[in-house]
Amino acid sequence: MAIIARKHAVGEQGASVREQLRAMDDSGVVTAFLGGEERAFSELVDRYQTRLLNFIYRTIGDREKAEDLVQEVFIRVYRHLHRFDRSKKFSTWAYTIASNLAKNELRNRSRNPLVLFQTVQKNWQEDDRPLQFEDSTSRPDDMYRKRHLREIVEESVAKLPEHHRHVFILRELEGKSYEEIAEITDCNLGTVKSRLNRARNSFAEIVAPYMD
Amino acid sequence: MDCREFREQHLSFVDDTLPGVELVRMQMHLTECDECARHDASIRRSLMLFRNLPRIEPSPDFAKKLEIKLREAKLADAAAASGSRSRKFAAAVTITSAAMLTYIGVSLRQVDTPQDIVLPPVVAIATSSDASAGGPAPEMIAAVSAGLPIWTAALFAEQTSAHFASIELASITH
Repeated sequence: MAIIARKHAVGEQGASVREQLRAMDDSGVVTAFLGGEERAFSELVDRYQTRLLNFIYRTIGDREKAEDLVQEVFIRVYRHLHRFDRSKKFSTWAYTIASNLAKNELRNRSRNPLVLFQTVQKNWQEDDRPLQFEDSTSRPDDMYRKRHLREIVEESVAKLPEHHRHVFILRELEGKSYEEIAEITDCNLGTVKSRLNRARNSFAEIVAPYMD
Repeated sequence: MDCREFREQHLSFVDDTLPGVELVRMQMHLTECDECARHDASIRRSLMLFRNLPRIEPSPDFAKKLEIKLREAKLADAAAASGSRSRKFAAAVTITSAAMLTYIGVSLRQVDTPQDIVLPPVVAIATSSDASAGGPAPEMIAAVSAGLPIWTAALFAEQTSAHFASIELASITH
């Protein structure tokens, strides 16, 4: 009885710690982790896993590889968090690591045609999986149109030059400011704006025929 | 406003970062220029499409895989840290041993190498029997071996006959 009560108390205590962590900003969570609170790292993972996954996936186009790279991001964060400059934004730092890993992946693929072919082939096969945003209340022709449109949009993004695609995803999908994008991609502000402008124009041109 | 200026500012226009005056000028141009209006609409629609792409979620086993990888990373870091400490200790032992061996080697070399032996000076003093034979006085001999220059004058003085001024002194010596 006492053991059960103790477990219940510990559970409640754990829940309140998690609630406290959830209420903190990134800086507070990082400080808590560096102060010895291991659960704070789980909070960071919860906050960033989906965002980083979507960013990397839209950049490299391979979902399985994207998950591997996101895990690699968190390994590096765990290893180097004690050296992180807490006057900077944690988000920018995490995205910078993710951006570099994605760029390396694309660079490796361009050097190895076999890897590139296998990735393209795997993505073709993924089209057979049910779409995640499909809902059972949609009519079949609506679902087909949505599926088709989604493919078009994804293919259109993939057609953008790598350095345009990078800033395009960070701005349009992740909502990063120009300054944050400049820091993540290690470019100056003018370059970011120029690339973003071109990316928008190119993307609009590519999807335009399918919009009418 | 002309179309070139409109296109140059279009990025900020879409992102609502233009100051009020410029925003109004851009909106005015839209009403005046069909081509720029089409361009603006095209950009906005395509962005809306892209921004509404469904977000993908991590796979169900993502958290478990991450936990395993984190554990492996912690073990690897711990092993690297202890390996680093062992390597430092081994290096310290090696350096100390090398220093000791070098010192011993240098010491042995010094013993083997012949060196000049410095002995204290030897003073030869004649015995009393030799002195009674009529040779120079023992003090004279000691002074000679010590290298004192007075012995030259003393020797000559002994060998030279003495001529005293007073008769009394002469009677003493003879």
